[in-house]
Amino acid sequence: MSYKIPMGPYHPGLEEPYKLDMICDGETVTDARLHIGFNFRGIEHLAETRNYVQVIALMERVCGICSFIHTLTLCQAMEKLTGFETPPRAKYIRVVMAELERLHSHVLWAGIAAKLMGFKTMFMTCFELREKVMDVLQAISGNRVNYSMNCVGGVNRDIADPAALVEMVDELEREMVKKVIPIFTTSATALSRCAGIGVLTHEKALSCAAVGPVARASGVNQDLRRDAPYAAYEEMNFEVPVQPDGDVKARLLVRALEILESCKILRQALTKMPPGELVCGDGKFNFLKVVMKTATSRVEAPRGEVFYSVSWRDGSRNPARVHVRTPTFANMPAIRYMVMGARLADTPLIQASIDPCYSCTDR
Amino acid sequence: MSSVEITAEMLAPSEPYQEDNGVYWFSYDGLKVRELAKAMNAVQARFVTITTYQLPKDEGFRLEYHWDLNGRLLGFTFNLQGSSIESRKIESIWDLCEAVDWIEREVHEEYGIEFTGREYEPLLLRPGDTPGVNMRETAAPAPAKQVEVAK
Repeated sequence: MSYKIPMGPYHPGLEEPYKLDMICDGETVTDARLHIGFNFRGIEHLAETRNYVQVIALMERVCGICSFIHTLTLCQAMEKLTGFETPPRAKYIRVVMAELERLHSHVLWAGIAAKLMGFKTMFMTCFELREKVMDVLQAISGNRVNYSMNCVGGVNRDIADPAALVEMVDELEREMVKKVIPIFTTSATALSRCAGIGVLTHEKALSCAAVGPVARASGVNQDLRRDAPYAAYEEMNFEVPVQPDGDVKARLLVRALEILESCKILRQALTKMPPGELVCGDGKFNFLKVVMKTATSRVEAPRGEVFYSVSWRDGSRNPARVHVRTPTFANMPAIRYMVMGARLADTPLIQASIDPCYSCTDR
Repeated sequence: MSSVEITAEMLAPSEPYQEDNGVYWFSYDGLKVRELAKAMNAVQARFVTITTYQLPKDEGFRLEYHWDLNGRLLGFTFNLQGSSIESRKIESIWDLCEAVDWIEREVHEEYGIEFTGREYEPLLLRPGDTPGVNMRETAAPAPAKQVEVAK
């Protein structure tokens, strides 16, 4: 006999308020339906009531974890509208901030995944590592979240001594290689909860148009940093980790390997950072001269591709339209296929394995 | 233009795109959205999103469909002229492209645009409310109340 189990929108197994209606046969999930919209904020509409300075601060609040990525994507689109070319140093600072944000997001996720596995010691270890990254972000920007680093044409703050941050990167990499990765990949506790669980096949990842680590863990070799480079990524040398299995373990492994690649990118960006201006034309621009136009921008956020489409009316202070397509919005429908056939007890971990950001989804 | 013709043009050495700020726009009069979706499937492009613009006065809506082809962002524009409910219709491609489901539902709920040939699940954005209305009109902010300030 099959029965329906609703999980959420407020449930101890979920980190954020969405709802999963699961049809179960005994302990096995046979089908599922996802519902979002419990905290819809209408930020896209609100953006049309903000001017070209205020809209950056607003879009920074789409997501608490990848707030830098959202302003980066928005500013890149606005730079296309104004014809601004970002100075080389600002491009490098953008790479550093984006990779620090990726580190902090992936380590945070690893901690949450460890907690859901019942592996509290690992949760503490990951959060201790994350704290070190947060300290660096705070040292650069003055904030732990919502860094206010991006502006149209560059960045607001400099990194005074980039070489001093290399030590932190080395230490983080040592900890990851010594503790986190071996435990996640060899410990019986982790493997029993992750291997072969919540499989998203390569074909389903393609048909659902999954992005980011979720897609790469299902063998889809895509990464905008390499395929459509922005900021200073063209000058960075790095690999894109891809795993074929599509299970929770593969998603975990892809993120762990991405942490190591992020360290590699950070080391390059910090040591090769060129001197120079932070903002194009001293940050002076006249947005009222922008003619009616639309510009789009894409960035590889920690969870996958973020897409912004920004449209401006002639002589207006406010955007005519700001459309945001976040990675979780693209990845979340795939959860249905991941939980089908899974045990009910595994579903919280399976859902968490896409690193869902509800704040982004209900923007 | 059939999906076979679109696919052939896409794979031709002289690509029929117009590049603008990193987006490769493909414009062809009489382009059908379902033929386009079939062509995108044929070249294994990844669906990205649909961006909807409400045009000034009663000019209707502009829908921009985006796909990614090997890191290249492709753009296709469809205009829905007029603001009446009858004119707010475009064929759904959900049966051809699974990834379009949520964004079609969102556009339907935000702008009242009907994607024909599909059924909608319960609302994404406003549970319990009327589906298929233009939120920009129905959810416009009320004028600010005059607040009496103590003297």
